[in-house]
Amino acid sequence: MDASLFVKFLPAFGLAALHTMELSMLALAGGLLLGFAMNAMRETGPRWLKPVYWFYTGVWRGVPFLVHLFISYFGLTAIGLTLDPFEAATLALVLYGGAYFSEIFRACWQSIPVGQVEAASAMGLSRRQIFTRIQAPQALRMSVPLIANQTIILVKESSIASIITYPELTFTTTKIVSETYVYIEPYLMLALSYWLLTLTISRVGRAVNRALSP
Amino acid sequence: MLASGLLDRLTGYVPFLFQGALVTLSLSTGAILIGFALGSLFLAVSEKYGQEGVRLTPMQNVAGFFVSVYVSFFRGTPLLVQLLMLFYLPAAFNINVPPFPAAIVAMGLNSAAFQCEILRAGLSAVSPGQLEAADAFGIPKKFIFRFIQLPQITRAVWPAVVSEAIDVLKSSAVVSVIAVTELTRTGRQIVAGNYRPLEVYISMGCIYLLMTGAIFLIGTWAGNRLTHRSNASSQIVQGLPGRLS
Repeated sequence: MDASLFVKFLPAFGLAALHTMELSMLALAGGLLLGFAMNAMRETGPRWLKPVYWFYTGVWRGVPFLVHLFISYFGLTAIGLTLDPFEAATLALVLYGGAYFSEIFRACWQSIPVGQVEAASAMGLSRRQIFTRIQAPQALRMSVPLIANQTIILVKESSIASIITYPELTFTTTKIVSETYVYIEPYLMLALSYWLLTLTISRVGRAVNRALSP
Repeated sequence: MLASGLLDRLTGYVPFLFQGALVTLSLSTGAILIGFALGSLFLAVSEKYGQEGVRLTPMQNVAGFFVSVYVSFFRGTPLLVQLLMLFYLPAAFNINVPPFPAAIVAMGLNSAAFQCEILRAGLSAVSPGQLEAADAFGIPKKFIFRFIQLPQITRAVWPAVVSEAIDVLKSSAVVSVIAVTELTRTGRQIVAGNYRPLEVYISMGCIYLLMTGAIFLIGTWAGNRLTHRSNASSQIVQGLPGRLS
Protein backbone atom coordinates (compact mmCIF):
# COMPACT_ATOMS: atom_id res chain seq x y z
CA MET A 1 0.00 0.00 0.00
CA ASP A 2 1.30 3.43 -0.93
CA ALA A 3 0.37 6.29 1.40
CA SER A 4 1.25 8.99 -1.14
CA LEU A 5 -1.54 7.67 -3.38
CA PHE A 6 -4.10 8.58 -0.73
CA VAL A 7 -2.90 12.18 -0.85
CA LYS A 8 -2.86 12.12 -4.64
CA PHE A 9 -6.46 10.88 -4.91
CA LEU A 10 -7.80 13.02 -2.07
CA PRO A 11 -8.93 16.07 -4.13
CA ALA A 12 -10.88 13.84 -6.56
CA PHE A 13 -12.52 12.04 -3.67
CA GLY A 14 -13.40 15.32 -1.95
CA LEU A 15 -15.23 16.55 -5.04
CA ALA A 16 -16.93 13.19 -5.51
CA ALA A 17 -18.04 13.15 -1.88
CA LEU A 18 -19.61 16.58 -2.45
CA HIS A 19 -21.52 15.17 -5.41
CA THR A 20 -22.70 12.21 -3.33
CA MET A 21 -23.85 14.56 -0.57
CA GLU A 22 -25.51 16.94 -3.02
CA LEU A 23 -27.56 14.11 -4.51
CA SER A 24 -28.45 12.53 -1.16
CA MET A 25 -29.35 15.82 0.53
CA LEU A 26 -31.57 16.86 -2.40
CA ALA A 27 -33.23 13.45 -2.21
CA LEU A 28 -33.62 13.86 1.55
CA ALA A 29 -35.23 17.31 1.24
CA GLY A 30 -37.43 16.40 -1.72
CA GLY A 31 -38.32 13.02 -0.28
CA LEU A 32 -39.29 14.50 3.10
CA LEU A 33 -41.54 17.09 1.44
CA LEU A 34 -43.14 14.50 -0.80
CA GLY A 35 -43.52 12.00 2.01
CA PHE A 36 -45.06 14.60 4.30
CA ALA A 37 -47.48 15.71 1.60
CA MET A 38 -48.49 12.12 0.80
CA ASN A 39 -49.11 11.37 4.47
CA ALA A 40 -51.07 14.60 4.95
CA MET A 41 -53.15 13.66 1.91
CA ARG A 42 -53.82 10.20 3.31
CA GLU A 43 -54.71 11.59 6.75
CA THR A 44 -56.78 14.62 5.85
CA GLY A 45 -57.51 14.33 2.11
CA PRO A 46 -60.64 12.98 0.47
CA ARG A 47 -61.15 9.24 0.52
CA TRP A 48 -60.91 8.81 -3.26
CA LEU A 49 -57.26 9.99 -3.14
CA LYS A 50 -56.18 7.19 -0.81
CA PRO A 51 -55.50 4.65 -3.60
CA VAL A 52 -52.93 7.14 -4.96
CA TYR A 53 -51.03 6.81 -1.68
CA TRP A 54 -51.11 3.01 -1.73
CA PHE A 55 -50.17 2.79 -5.39
CA TYR A 56 -47.24 5.19 -4.97
CA THR A 57 -45.77 3.67 -1.81
CA GLY A 58 -46.41 0.11 -3.00
CA VAL A 59 -44.92 0.43 -6.47
CA TRP A 60 -41.98 2.67 -5.58
CA ARG A 61 -40.90 0.52 -2.64
CA GLY A 62 -41.39 -2.74 -4.51
CA VAL A 63 -39.01 -2.07 -7.40
CA PRO A 64 -35.18 -1.77 -7.13
CA PHE A 65 -33.78 1.75 -7.26
CA LEU A 66 -31.67 0.81 -10.28
CA VAL A 67 -34.86 0.18 -12.27
CA HIS A 68 -36.25 3.60 -11.31
CA LEU A 69 -32.97 5.08 -12.42
CA PHE A 70 -33.06 3.33 -15.80
CA ILE A 71 -36.63 4.47 -16.39
CA SER A 72 -35.87 8.10 -15.54
CA TYR A 73 -32.56 8.19 -17.45
CA PHE A 74 -33.14 5.94 -20.48
CA GLY A 75 -36.90 5.42 -20.48
CA LEU A 76 -38.15 9.00 -20.32
CA THR A 77 -36.32 9.91 -23.53
CA ALA A 78 -38.94 7.77 -25.32
CA ILE A 79 -41.61 10.31 -24.32
CA GLY A 80 -39.38 13.24 -25.21
CA LEU A 81 -37.98 13.99 -21.76
CA THR A 82 -34.19 13.83 -21.85
CA LEU A 83 -32.53 14.27 -18.46
CA ASP A 84 -28.82 14.46 -17.69
CA PRO A 85 -27.43 11.95 -15.15
CA PHE A 86 -27.74 14.38 -12.25
CA GLU A 87 -31.36 15.28 -13.02
CA ALA A 88 -32.34 11.67 -13.64
CA ALA A 89 -30.67 10.49 -10.42
CA THR A 90 -32.23 13.29 -8.37
CA LEU A 91 -35.71 12.64 -9.77
CA ALA A 92 -35.46 8.90 -9.18
CA LEU A 93 -34.00 9.23 -5.68
CA VAL A 94 -36.54 11.88 -4.58
CA LEU A 95 -39.44 9.66 -5.68
CA TYR A 96 -37.82 6.54 -4.19
CA GLY A 97 -37.08 8.25 -0.86
CA GLY A 98 -40.49 9.90 -0.84
CA ALA A 99 -42.23 6.52 -0.81
CA TYR A 100 -40.24 5.42 2.25
CA PHE A 101 -40.71 8.76 4.02
CA SER A 102 -44.47 8.52 3.38
CA GLU A 103 -44.51 5.18 5.16
CA ILE A 104 -42.33 6.49 8.01
CA PHE A 105 -44.73 9.39 8.57
CA ARG A 106 -47.72 7.06 8.30
CA ALA A 107 -46.26 4.72 10.93
CA CYS A 108 -45.57 7.63 13.29
CA TRP A 109 -48.95 9.26 12.72
CA GLN A 110 -50.76 5.98 13.27
CA SER A 111 -48.87 5.31 16.48
CA ILE A 112 -50.55 8.32 18.13
CA PRO A 113 -53.30 6.78 20.32
CA VAL A 114 -56.65 7.04 18.59
CA GLY A 115 -58.16 8.27 21.88
CA GLN A 116 -56.27 11.55 21.49
CA VAL A 117 -57.77 12.10 18.05
CA GLU A 118 -61.25 11.24 19.31
CA ALA A 119 -60.87 13.53 22.32
CA ALA A 120 -59.65 16.40 20.12
CA SER A 121 -62.51 15.80 17.74
CA ALA A 122 -64.98 15.82 20.67
CA MET A 123 -63.52 19.18 21.73
CA GLY A 124 -64.47 20.52 18.33
CA LEU A 125 -61.07 20.57 16.60
CA SER A 126 -61.22 20.15 12.85
CA ARG A 127 -59.47 17.28 11.05
CA ARG A 128 -56.75 19.67 9.90
CA GLN A 129 -56.24 21.11 13.39
CA ILE A 130 -55.91 17.62 14.82
CA PHE A 131 -53.31 16.87 12.16
CA THR A 132 -51.16 19.95 12.80
CA ARG A 133 -51.70 20.57 16.53
CA ILE A 134 -52.13 17.09 18.03
CA GLN A 135 -50.54 14.55 15.74
CA ALA A 136 -47.70 16.39 14.01
CA PRO A 137 -45.71 17.55 17.09
CA GLN A 138 -45.62 14.05 18.57
CA ALA A 139 -45.27 12.10 15.32
CA LEU A 140 -42.48 14.27 13.90
CA ARG A 141 -40.40 13.86 17.05
CA MET A 142 -40.92 10.12 16.85
CA SER A 143 -39.85 10.03 13.20
CA VAL A 144 -36.32 11.41 13.76
CA PRO A 145 -34.46 8.08 14.22
CA LEU A 146 -36.36 6.57 11.28
CA ILE A 147 -35.52 9.55 9.06
CA ALA A 148 -31.84 9.28 10.02
CA ASN A 149 -31.90 5.59 9.14
CA GLN A 150 -33.59 6.28 5.79
CA THR A 151 -31.05 9.02 5.04
CA ILE A 152 -28.27 6.45 5.43
CA ILE A 153 -30.13 4.20 2.99
CA LEU A 154 -30.43 7.10 0.51
CA VAL A 155 -26.68 7.85 0.71
CA LYS A 156 -25.99 4.18 0.01
CA GLU A 157 -28.50 4.03 -2.85
CA SER A 158 -26.92 7.14 -4.37
CA SER A 159 -23.90 4.94 -5.21
CA ILE A 160 -26.08 3.31 -7.87
CA ALA A 161 -26.18 6.63 -9.76
CA SER A 162 -22.61 5.76 -10.80
CA ILE A 163 -24.13 3.26 -13.25
CA ILE A 164 -25.66 6.13 -15.25
CA THR A 165 -22.28 7.96 -15.02
CA TYR A 166 -23.13 10.56 -12.39
CA PRO A 167 -19.64 11.46 -11.03
CA GLU A 168 -20.17 10.66 -7.35
CA LEU A 169 -17.87 8.59 -5.12
CA THR A 170 -18.35 5.19 -6.73
CA PHE A 171 -18.10 6.45 -10.31
CA THR A 172 -14.99 8.49 -9.48
CA THR A 173 -13.36 5.43 -7.93
CA THR A 174 -14.02 3.15 -10.91
CA LYS A 175 -12.70 5.93 -13.15
CA ILE A 176 -9.49 6.31 -11.12
CA VAL A 177 -9.06 2.52 -11.09
CA SER A 178 -9.46 2.21 -14.84
CA GLU A 179 -7.08 5.12 -15.50
CA THR A 180 -4.31 4.25 -13.06
CA TYR A 181 -4.65 0.46 -12.65
CA VAL A 182 -4.33 1.01 -8.90
CA TYR A 183 -6.96 -1.05 -7.10
CA ILE A 184 -6.45 -1.24 -3.38
CA GLU A 185 -6.03 2.39 -2.34
CA PRO A 186 -9.01 3.83 -4.28
CA TYR A 187 -11.40 1.08 -3.14
CA LEU A 188 -10.23 1.46 0.45
CA MET A 189 -10.82 5.22 0.25
CA LEU A 190 -14.23 4.62 -1.31
CA ALA A 191 -15.40 2.29 1.46
CA LEU A 192 -14.00 4.56 4.17
CA SER A 193 -15.70 7.63 2.64
CA TYR A 194 -19.13 5.98 2.75
CA TRP A 195 -18.50 4.55 6.19
CA LEU A 196 -17.54 7.99 7.50
CA LEU A 197 -20.57 9.60 5.84
CA THR A 198 -23.08 7.10 7.21
CA LEU A 199 -21.53 7.07 10.71
CA THR A 200 -21.73 10.87 10.74
CA ILE A 201 -25.39 10.80 9.73
CA SER A 202 -26.22 8.30 12.44
CA ARG A 203 -24.39 10.49 15.00
CA VAL A 204 -26.27 13.60 13.85
CA GLY A 205 -29.54 11.66 13.96
CA ARG A 206 -28.91 10.58 17.54
CA ALA A 207 -27.96 14.12 18.58
CA VAL A 208 -31.13 15.58 17.04
CA ASN A 209 -33.17 12.84 18.68
CA ARG A 210 -31.63 13.62 22.08
CA ALA A 211 -32.19 17.34 21.64
CA LEU A 212 -35.85 16.82 20.77
CA SER A 213 -36.77 14.25 23.39
CA PRO A 214 -38.48 15.78 26.38
CA MET B 1 -43.47 4.31 -28.89
CA LEU B 2 -46.24 2.81 -30.95
CA ALA B 3 -48.96 0.97 -29.05
CA SER B 4 -49.59 -1.27 -32.04
CA GLY B 5 -47.31 -4.22 -32.00
CA LEU B 6 -46.60 -3.68 -28.30
CA LEU B 7 -48.25 -6.96 -27.43
CA ASP B 8 -46.23 -8.79 -30.09
CA ARG B 9 -43.00 -7.29 -28.77
CA LEU B 10 -43.92 -8.11 -25.17
CA THR B 11 -44.59 -11.76 -25.98
CA GLY B 12 -41.20 -11.70 -27.71
CA TYR B 13 -39.02 -10.54 -24.81
CA VAL B 14 -40.99 -11.14 -21.62
CA PRO B 15 -40.04 -14.87 -21.56
CA PHE B 16 -36.36 -13.79 -21.50
CA LEU B 17 -37.11 -11.43 -18.62
CA PHE B 18 -38.67 -14.31 -16.69
CA GLN B 19 -35.53 -16.37 -17.28
CA GLY B 20 -33.54 -13.50 -15.78
CA ALA B 21 -36.01 -13.36 -12.90
CA LEU B 22 -35.21 -16.99 -12.09
CA VAL B 23 -31.53 -16.09 -11.75
CA THR B 24 -32.52 -13.13 -9.54
CA LEU B 25 -34.59 -15.46 -7.37
CA SER B 26 -31.83 -18.06 -6.96
CA LEU B 27 -29.26 -15.33 -6.18
CA SER B 28 -31.54 -13.83 -3.55
CA THR B 29 -32.43 -17.17 -2.00
CA GLY B 30 -28.76 -18.11 -1.76
CA ALA B 31 -27.86 -14.73 -0.27
CA ILE B 32 -30.64 -14.89 2.33
CA LEU B 33 -29.58 -18.40 3.41
CA ILE B 34 -25.89 -17.46 3.60
CA GLY B 35 -26.89 -14.29 5.46
CA PHE B 36 -28.99 -16.24 7.93
CA ALA B 37 -26.29 -18.83 8.63
CA LEU B 38 -23.52 -16.24 8.99
CA GLY B 39 -25.77 -13.79 10.84
CA SER B 40 -26.77 -16.36 13.47
CA LEU B 41 -23.13 -17.44 13.82
CA PHE B 42 -22.09 -13.81 14.38
CA LEU B 43 -24.84 -13.37 16.91
CA ALA B 44 -23.86 -16.59 18.71
CA VAL B 45 -20.25 -15.45 19.19
CA SER B 46 -21.14 -11.88 20.17
CA GLU B 47 -24.33 -12.43 22.18
CA LYS B 48 -22.93 -11.28 25.52
CA TYR B 49 -20.70 -8.52 24.05
CA GLY B 50 -21.52 -4.98 25.14
CA GLN B 51 -23.96 -6.01 27.85
CA GLU B 52 -23.53 -4.42 31.24
CA GLY B 53 -22.30 -6.46 34.16
CA VAL B 54 -21.15 -9.43 32.08
CA ARG B 55 -17.55 -10.64 32.35
CA LEU B 56 -16.14 -11.86 29.06
CA THR B 57 -13.17 -14.01 28.21
CA PRO B 58 -10.56 -12.30 25.96
CA MET B 59 -11.75 -14.55 23.11
CA GLN B 60 -15.35 -13.37 23.51
CA ASN B 61 -14.16 -9.77 23.58
CA VAL B 62 -12.25 -10.17 20.31
CA ALA B 63 -15.18 -11.94 18.65
CA GLY B 64 -17.66 -9.35 19.89
CA PHE B 65 -15.50 -6.48 18.68
CA PHE B 66 -15.01 -8.11 15.29
CA VAL B 67 -18.76 -8.61 14.85
CA SER B 68 -19.56 -5.02 15.81
CA VAL B 69 -17.03 -3.66 13.29
CA TYR B 70 -18.28 -6.11 10.64
CA VAL B 71 -21.90 -5.10 11.14
CA SER B 72 -21.08 -1.41 11.16
CA PHE B 73 -19.03 -1.68 7.95
CA PHE B 74 -21.48 -3.79 5.98
CA ARG B 75 -24.45 -1.69 7.03
CA GLY B 76 -22.58 1.59 6.57
CA THR B 77 -21.34 1.11 2.99
CA PRO B 78 -23.35 0.44 -0.19
CA LEU B 79 -23.74 -3.10 -1.49
CA LEU B 80 -22.42 -1.89 -4.85
CA VAL B 81 -19.12 -0.88 -3.20
CA GLN B 82 -18.84 -4.19 -1.34
CA LEU B 83 -19.54 -6.02 -4.57
CA LEU B 84 -16.92 -4.08 -6.57
CA MET B 85 -14.35 -4.62 -3.80
CA LEU B 86 -15.03 -8.34 -3.66
CA PHE B 87 -14.90 -8.64 -7.43
CA TYR B 88 -11.97 -6.37 -8.32
CA LEU B 89 -9.66 -6.44 -5.27
CA PRO B 90 -8.74 -10.13 -5.73
CA ALA B 91 -7.93 -9.22 -9.34
CA ALA B 92 -5.18 -6.95 -8.00
CA PHE B 93 -3.53 -10.12 -6.65
CA ASN B 94 -4.17 -11.98 -9.92
CA ILE B 95 -7.04 -13.98 -8.49
CA ASN B 96 -10.06 -14.12 -10.77
CA VAL B 97 -13.39 -14.45 -9.02
CA PRO B 98 -16.22 -15.65 -11.28
CA PRO B 99 -19.17 -13.17 -11.26
CA PHE B 100 -21.98 -15.41 -9.99
CA PRO B 101 -20.19 -16.66 -6.83
CA ALA B 102 -18.84 -13.14 -6.21
CA ALA B 103 -22.38 -11.75 -6.40
CA ILE B 104 -23.93 -14.35 -4.13
CA VAL B 105 -21.11 -14.05 -1.56
CA ALA B 106 -21.23 -10.22 -1.54
CA MET B 107 -25.01 -10.25 -1.10
CA GLY B 108 -24.74 -12.94 1.59
CA LEU B 109 -22.03 -11.09 3.55
CA ASN B 110 -24.12 -7.92 3.32
CA SER B 111 -27.32 -9.61 4.47
CA ALA B 112 -25.48 -11.35 7.34
CA ALA B 113 -24.85 -7.96 8.95
CA PHE B 114 -28.52 -7.01 8.74
CA GLN B 115 -29.81 -10.43 9.83
CA CYS B 116 -27.40 -10.51 12.79
CA GLU B 117 -28.97 -7.28 14.08
CA ILE B 118 -32.52 -8.50 13.36
CA LEU B 119 -31.89 -11.69 15.34
CA ARG B 120 -30.20 -9.73 18.14
CA ALA B 121 -33.32 -7.60 18.49
CA GLY B 122 -35.40 -10.80 18.47
CA LEU B 123 -33.34 -12.31 21.27
CA SER B 124 -34.07 -9.34 23.50
CA ALA B 125 -37.81 -9.86 22.92
CA VAL B 126 -37.75 -12.70 25.46
CA SER B 127 -37.56 -11.26 28.97
CA PRO B 128 -34.78 -12.67 31.22
CA GLY B 129 -37.40 -13.42 33.87
CA GLN B 130 -38.88 -16.14 31.67
CA LEU B 131 -35.51 -17.83 31.31
CA GLU B 132 -34.85 -17.61 35.05
CA ALA B 133 -38.30 -19.04 35.77
CA ALA B 134 -37.75 -21.90 33.30
CA ASP B 135 -34.37 -22.57 34.89
CA ALA B 136 -35.94 -22.56 38.35
CA PHE B 137 -38.43 -25.18 37.17
CA GLY B 138 -35.51 -27.33 36.09
CA ILE B 139 -36.35 -27.26 32.37
CA PRO B 140 -33.28 -28.44 30.41
CA LYS B 141 -31.37 -25.77 28.45
CA LYS B 142 -32.18 -27.19 24.99
CA PHE B 143 -35.89 -27.27 25.83
CA ILE B 144 -35.74 -23.68 27.07
CA PHE B 145 -34.39 -22.66 23.67
CA ARG B 146 -36.70 -24.88 21.64
CA PHE B 147 -39.99 -24.24 23.44
CA ILE B 148 -39.58 -20.87 25.17
CA GLN B 149 -37.10 -18.73 23.24
CA LEU B 150 -37.45 -19.95 19.66
CA PRO B 151 -41.23 -19.48 19.24
CA GLN B 152 -41.13 -15.96 20.66
CA ILE B 153 -38.01 -14.98 18.71
CA THR B 154 -39.52 -16.30 15.47
CA ARG B 155 -42.68 -14.30 15.99
CA ALA B 156 -40.74 -11.17 16.96
CA VAL B 157 -38.32 -11.20 14.01
CA TRP B 158 -40.68 -12.44 11.31
CA PRO B 159 -41.80 -9.06 9.91
CA ALA B 160 -38.19 -7.83 9.83
CA VAL B 161 -37.06 -11.03 8.10
CA VAL B 162 -39.73 -10.63 5.41
CA SER B 163 -38.70 -7.03 4.79
CA GLU B 164 -35.02 -8.09 4.68
CA ALA B 165 -35.89 -10.72 2.07
CA ILE B 166 -37.56 -8.01 -0.03
CA ASP B 167 -34.51 -5.73 0.41
CA VAL B 168 -32.14 -8.51 -0.64
CA LEU B 169 -34.18 -9.22 -3.77
CA LYS B 170 -34.26 -5.53 -4.67
CA SER B 171 -30.56 -5.01 -4.00
CA SER B 172 -29.74 -7.94 -6.29
CA ALA B 173 -30.32 -5.61 -9.26
CA VAL B 174 -26.87 -4.04 -8.78
CA VAL B 175 -25.04 -7.30 -9.42
CA SER B 176 -25.84 -6.71 -13.09
CA VAL B 177 -22.74 -4.45 -13.13
CA ILE B 178 -20.38 -7.42 -12.72
CA ALA B 179 -21.98 -9.26 -15.65
CA VAL B 180 -24.33 -11.61 -13.85
CA THR B 181 -27.21 -12.13 -16.27
CA GLU B 182 -30.07 -11.68 -13.83
CA LEU B 183 -33.28 -9.75 -14.49
CA THR B 184 -31.78 -6.25 -14.78
CA ARG B 185 -28.94 -7.30 -17.08
CA THR B 186 -31.37 -9.26 -19.24
CA GLY B 187 -33.44 -6.08 -19.54
CA ARG B 188 -30.38 -4.05 -20.57
CA GLN B 189 -29.49 -6.62 -23.20
CA ILE B 190 -33.01 -6.51 -24.64
CA VAL B 191 -32.89 -2.69 -24.76
CA ALA B 192 -29.52 -2.85 -26.50
CA GLY B 193 -31.27 -4.87 -29.20
CA ASN B 194 -34.61 -3.11 -29.66
CA TYR B 195 -33.95 0.47 -28.40
CA ARG B 196 -37.21 0.57 -26.45
CA PRO B 197 -36.02 1.40 -22.92
CA LEU B 198 -39.34 2.66 -21.55
CA GLU B 199 -41.46 -0.42 -22.17
CA VAL B 200 -38.71 -2.93 -21.42
CA TYR B 201 -37.72 -1.28 -18.12
CA ILE B 202 -41.36 -0.90 -17.08
CA SER B 203 -41.99 -4.60 -17.81
CA MET B 204 -38.85 -5.35 -15.83
CA GLY B 205 -40.14 -3.24 -12.95
CA CYS B 206 -43.45 -5.11 -13.04
CA ILE B 207 -41.64 -8.44 -12.70
CA TYR B 208 -39.67 -7.13 -9.72
CA LEU B 209 -42.94 -5.87 -8.24
CA LEU B 210 -44.50 -9.29 -8.78
CA MET B 211 -41.65 -10.95 -6.89
CA THR B 212 -41.48 -8.47 -3.99
CA GLY B 213 -45.29 -8.50 -3.80
CA ALA B 214 -45.30 -12.30 -3.64
CA ILE B 215 -42.69 -12.31 -0.84
CA PHE B 216 -44.76 -9.74 1.05
CA LEU B 217 -48.04 -11.65 0.68
CA ILE B 218 -46.59 -15.07 1.47
CA GLY B 219 -44.59 -13.56 4.35
CA THR B 220 -47.65 -11.86 5.84
CA TRP B 221 -49.72 -15.02 5.43
CA ALA B 222 -47.04 -17.16 7.10
CA GLY B 223 -46.64 -14.54 9.82
CA ASN B 224 -50.36 -14.64 10.58
CA ARG B 225 -50.24 -18.42 10.79
CA LEU B 226 -47.26 -18.20 13.14
CA THR B 227 -49.09 -15.95 15.59
CA HIS B 228 -52.32 -17.88 15.20
CA ARG B 229 -50.70 -21.24 15.90
CA SER B 230 -48.68 -20.02 18.83
CA ASN B 231 -51.79 -18.37 20.30
CA ALA B 232 -53.56 -21.71 20.07
CA SER B 233 -50.69 -23.51 21.78
CA SER B 234 -50.43 -20.87 24.49
CA GLN B 235 -54.14 -21.41 25.20
CA ILE B 236 -53.43 -25.09 25.72
CA VAL B 237 -50.59 -24.16 28.07
CA GLN B 238 -52.87 -21.76 29.92
CA GLY B 239 -55.38 -24.58 30.26
CA LEU B 240 -52.79 -26.92 31.75
CA PRO B 241 -52.66 -25.84 35.40
CA GLY B 242 -56.44 -26.22 35.61
CA ARG B 243 -56.27 -29.77 34.40
CA LEU B 244 -53.36 -30.58 36.62
CA SER B 245 -54.87 -29.27 39.83
